[in-house]
Amino acid sequence: MHASNVKYRLGKSYGFQILTYVLAFACVIPLLAILFFIIKAGITKINWHFLINVPKPVGESGGGIANALVGSILIIIVAAIIAIPIGILAGIYLSENRKSRLAYWCRLSTDILQGVPSIVIGIVAYFWLVKPLGKFSALSGSVALAIMMLPIVVRSTEETLKLLPDSLKEAALALGMPFHRVIFKVIVPVGISGILSGVMLSIARITGETAPLLFTAFGNPYLTTNVTQPMQSLPLLIFNYATSPYNDWHDLAWGASLILLLWVLFLNIFTKLITRKWKVQL
Amino acid sequence: MESTIIKSRNFNASFGTNHVVKNVNIDIPRNHVIAVMGPSGCGKTTYLRCINRMHELIPGATCDGEMKLNDENIYEMHPIFVRLKIGMVFQRPNPFPNLSIYDNVIAGYKLNGVKLPKAERDRIVEHSLTRVALWNEVKDSLNKKGSFLSGGQQQRLCIARAVAMEPEVLLFDEPTSALDPISTSTVEELFHELKVNYTLIIVTHNMQQAARVSDKTAFFYMGELVEYDETKTMFTNPKDNRTQNYITGRFS
Amino acid sequence: MAQIETELQLLKTEAVNMWTLVNSQLSKARQAFLTFDKDLAREVVLKEKRVNGSELKIDRDCENIFALFCPVAIDLRFLLAVLKINSNLERIGDIAEGIAKYIIDAEVPFSKELLDVTRVLPMYEEAVNMLEDTQAAFEKEDTVLARSVFKKDDFLDGINKASNKVLENHLKDHPEDTPQALWLLSIMRKLERVGDQSKNVAEEIIFYLEAKVLKHSKKFA
Repeated sequence: MHASNVKYRLGKSYGFQILTYVLAFACVIPLLAILFFIIKAGITKINWHFLINVPKPVGESGGGIANALVGSILIIIVAAIIAIPIGILAGIYLSENRKSRLAYWCRLSTDILQGVPSIVIGIVAYFWLVKPLGKFSALSGSVALAIMMLPIVVRSTEETLKLLPDSLKEAALALGMPFHRVIFKVIVPVGISGILSGVMLSIARITGETAPLLFTAFGNPYLTTNVTQPMQSLPLLIFNYATSPYNDWHDLAWGASLILLLWVLFLNIFTKLITRKWKVQL
Repeated sequence: MESTIIKSRNFNASFGTNHVVKNVNIDIPRNHVIAVMGPSGCGKTTYLRCINRMHELIPGATCDGEMKLNDENIYEMHPIFVRLKIGMVFQRPNPFPNLSIYDNVIAGYKLNGVKLPKAERDRIVEHSLTRVALWNEVKDSLNKKGSFLSGGQQQRLCIARAVAMEPEVLLFDEPTSALDPISTSTVEELFHELKVNYTLIIVTHNMQQAARVSDKTAFFYMGELVEYDETKTMFTNPKDNRTQNYITGRFS
Repeated sequence: MAQIETELQLLKTEAVNMWTLVNSQLSKARQAFLTFDKDLAREVVLKEKRVNGSELKIDRDCENIFALFCPVAIDLRFLLAVLKINSNLERIGDIAEGIAKYIIDAEVPFSKELLDVTRVLPMYEEAVNMLEDTQAAFEKEDTVLARSVFKKDDFLDGINKASNKVLENHLKDHPEDTPQALWLLSIMRKLERVGDQSKNVAEEIIFYLEAKVLKHSKKFA
């Protein structure tokens, strides 16, 4: 081994280390840039009026995003009510039955569904619910979003439960517990943090989805809590108002973007906290 | 009360086409400690799991033959009832990690939805923990989760959990192979006290342990029950050559 | 208490019981010797069966403990010592029976002069003392007491060695005592063996307690 050879290789190694640091930092830059930009643009637009008023007609100043805020919350809640039970139970089924035909098809469908473009799901929901019922509704929007949530909930539930040791199930069975109790009183409680984080992640995912809501919830300039009516939601509002020619509406869009961003950020942080707190040390 | 508590006649068990337990005939007497020993893969654990019907939970697992608990055919009873009468302790201590020590002991009742008055629950917990010599060590930390307990204490907690169900038989699947020597001897001392109230069947690959703790020993080899006799006789003058070879370490 | 401790405790009790039994056999034989009591001698012969039975039981129990518990260190030495002490005690029991048989077969008691000149009585007494000392040393785990037995054996050896010359001289003056003298010589040889057996027992006790092998070595009192 020549001294110069060693020196060259050491130098190369050092250079590589520097490169990894630089590139890692480069990943953080887009996030920081977006945050900075949106906070700067939106922070001045947010105030109490902003949050509790509906948008005013064009030309009038003031107005807010109350309808979109309420609409988003409602649509997401209904979507969660649809997707979570189905997703968790499907995840439980998959973790218990590794090799059955049904499990194979279920896994395959979930994987494919995860890759379906959101706008296609929106169109499908349109043909399923909007056309037959003859009107746009928040419900149809929720259904579309639920379909998008499903793969995440199913997969994370399955993976969480698969990681639990068999000995847990055996201990419960050996105590004379019927199978449904083993699942719901032992397995699920121990894996609850993983399941919950999967649920939170799926909600964070759909919070900002616009395309599925385009032909389903459609949007509504008024505040409504009736899910059978069309409803406004934050992404929709941003989409519509940002591309409009009115400055007032641009302002609303910036403010709404900031709110949406903060919402997603807090949801992620909240998920991390819950996961850590409820994680069961095996 | 008849003195044989578990009886097997022509009992076979398989995993699919793999015939792992062949034609076992054995009488287990009440309030005795029976050791089941043999080399790896001889079918002893499979046989044990057939007694409390855990074997059939594995996909593709089958068994046939007669297996009786107090003259009732185990395979005609509902498996839940079988497991309430025949408890099991596993190789790795597996207390429920999300429950406190108190809740772990009472888990068989609580998680099964059986509602008991608090006085009764307290009595069961104290009684079971005393039976496994753990009461004095944990009585002030009953509400803590069991994660601070040592391996030996966790295993005794699992035994307490099984004992709380007041079974007639306790099955042990290599209960000390994951424990250090001191914890092992603490658990072994328990067996002598437990046999007063229960019948114990212990699968072990440690034949010194079988010699130390049991009254009778069964030697399994390649799925067959080769010899079943008083432990004293088995270790001083076994009748079958295969038993002698195994005990003297001539083959593993 | 661990199971092995219980078993060893039981074994110790059995060994001590055997000791007591053999001691009583030897003492009874001495009593019969002193008082020429043939009935007492017959008792000793009958009880020999119990001594043999006890030896068999202790052997079997040792075998079981070896097989079941694989003892090591002091437990192992204890078992090895008990096995050997067991057979030593059984031989002492045989000797007691042998002496008792002589008493039964003898026609007249031994003459006092013969007894005095051979010093057989102090020899017998010392032999019994040696046995009692080893029993106490075993029970109390006292190696000092065990070591004191070696000197006593020298005493017995001394009397035994002198016995030939003493009897030769005595028989010159009292040739009619020849049959008795021959009996007495046999008994003294037996007593000398009792001393040897007790010495072996003491060696085993020291081996078990101190892990020192004193067999076949010069002993320093």
